[in-house]
Amino acid sequence: MSQLVIEAEGLRKEFRTRAGGLRVAVSDLDLAVPAGGVHGFLGPNGSGKTTTIRMLLGLASATRGTMRLFGVEVPQRLPEVIGRIGAVVESPKFSPNFTGRQNLLLLARSIGAADSRVDAALETVSLTGRDRDRYRSYSLGMKQRLAIAATLLKDPQLLILDEPTNGLDPAGIREIRDTVRDLGSSGVTVLLSSHILAEVQQVCTSATIIGNGRLLASGRVDDLIGAGSAYRVGTPDPAAASRVLAGAGLSAGVVDDWLRVDSDGPPEDITRALAGAGIYLSELSPIRADLETVFLQLTAGDTLGVTPEQGAL
Amino acid sequence: MRLLSVELTRLRWRRAVLVLLVGCFLVPVLLLAGLSWNTRPVSEGDRASAQEQLDRDVRSPDLAREIDRCAKHPRQYGVDPADPEAACREMMAPQLEFYLYRPELDVASEREGTGLGVITLLVGLVMLLGTTFAGHDWGSGSMSNQLLFEPRRARVWGAKAAVVFLTGLLAAAVALALFWGGLWLVAGSRDLQATGHQWQLIVHSALRGSLLIALAGVGGYALTMLFRNTVATLGALFAFTIGSSILIVGILGSTATRWLLPTNFYAVLMNGYEYYNGASEGQSCSSGPDGIMECTNMAHLSLGQGATYLGVLLVLATGLSLWSFQRRDVP
Repeated sequence: MSQLVIEAEGLRKEFRTRAGGLRVAVSDLDLAVPAGGVHGFLGPNGSGKTTTIRMLLGLASATRGTMRLFGVEVPQRLPEVIGRIGAVVESPKFSPNFTGRQNLLLLARSIGAADSRVDAALETVSLTGRDRDRYRSYSLGMKQRLAIAATLLKDPQLLILDEPTNGLDPAGIREIRDTVRDLGSSGVTVLLSSHILAEVQQVCTSATIIGNGRLLASGRVDDLIGAGSAYRVGTPDPAAASRVLAGAGLSAGVVDDWLRVDSDGPPEDITRALAGAGIYLSELSPIRADLETVFLQLTAGDTLGVTPEQGAL
Repeated sequence: MRLLSVELTRLRWRRAVLVLLVGCFLVPVLLLAGLSWNTRPVSEGDRASAQEQLDRDVRSPDLAREIDRCAKHPRQYGVDPADPEAACREMMAPQLEFYLYRPELDVASEREGTGLGVITLLVGLVMLLGTTFAGHDWGSGSMSNQLLFEPRRARVWGAKAAVVFLTGLLAAAVALALFWGGLWLVAGSRDLQATGHQWQLIVHSALRGSLLIALAGVGGYALTMLFRNTVATLGALFAFTIGSSILIVGILGSTATRWLLPTNFYAVLMNGYEYYNGASEGQSCSSGPDGIMECTNMAHLSLGQGATYLGVLLVLATGLSLWSFQRRDVP
């Protein structure tokens, strides 16, 4: 088993409501993120993703549970590892009246990084030409890029990105996705929190799905989606092929001009049976569930931000 | 040290802070200019213009009519009926001195006059500086970003507080040096210098004032770190200043003065303060050896008592602020 970069056990966060009650944002959550690659952190809005991230980074205190980053207990020993962690939590947060460069300079100097590191980070996110403009004049995409530049000031080994593509146009989303993928393949561990499932499926190697503050599923993306349990088969005569397959003990049904074959076995079972009957295939592809389907199945019934554990203290 | 330098840069880059610092230097300059102008010696030009005005007023028909009426009814005007016209003229006709009256500059008395006003205004400006400095971090949300780079919150709080204190102290020292240095020059040019002892009192008062101004900045900063909002802090300060006075007077009645903020503020600046104590029984006033009236219902508040009062307020504000910053979640 590879080394874990993020570990959380029995993590719980309760908020007091104004009415004097209790709202549980995260409930007994276990989280394990292995070193290297991009790990998706999925959940509907209000499911506790950002709260979990904020607890890991010491911005919010946990009501209960233990957390470790790089094997070090946090938040007690967070200062020992914070230099190895870059993070963007929710929307980018900088001083609006400072220029992008000034904002980064202050952060760089607070960790003793050279000013030249700011230039490099700005160049990486293609903000060099606008770095002397005030932050408040930036578009949302530029703000997101500046936030990512800030994470690069540290040369991080763990990057935590909370909804980094929020509000970006398609080109911006693609740019961020490519950056995340590059970082993941360069050895940096990336925890990518998002509710854009196609994005996660394209970029992430593993994922954790939470709902109502609870862990619903976790593992490699391929495992979460599951192996193909049905195949799409194209032949010149689907009806004849269906009969042959039925004779071979396979369940097949004609859909338009192709065949859907339900089988947990390997695809060779289909080709062997049809070839034996002199029927040759024009198409054979697995029909897989996508992450969205899995996600919706797992989070069905979740209602935004409301937990069954509400109650007065 | 690194964090201190970062916070100093952050403070220096804030435009609102720069405006307030400029204000800190403008206040003493403007008040000094006003004071110098209002106490300027009477010049030949002033004298000539006063004489012109006097001549105009003496020739005024209204004055002649009034004198005439007085001369006809001297008893009504309470003048000597033996020579009513001369007596009425003496009473009613303006004198040259009336047009030339102007207070003379008294450097020593300005310690409790304009000098106190300068310090009071600087307290307000530096307190606002501390407030806006912290308020901006919360308003923009950049505080959480800063904590992602330096999660030791006590250090962050301390570095920001130290920067506010040092900036406030330096600004106050420079501003008060500007005011008193300028006044020293003005007084010297008029040959009206204060004595060495009086200057010693002024310097001590300015030093205590500088410290008070810097600590007021820290107080404003600490409250904003507690309330996390500039407007909320200003509202709370306003409510405290007004509300506490009403509350203290309401609870303690005539003995409240000792517990009012301004009384203790003056006690620190003036190295003790005499205030009206309504609780004293059998009020009696008598003329002292120097001819000044002394009343038995006046009480003395010492520098130590005033400093303790303000110190307790500051410790409460900073302690609560630091405790809250270390414990509460940061948005």
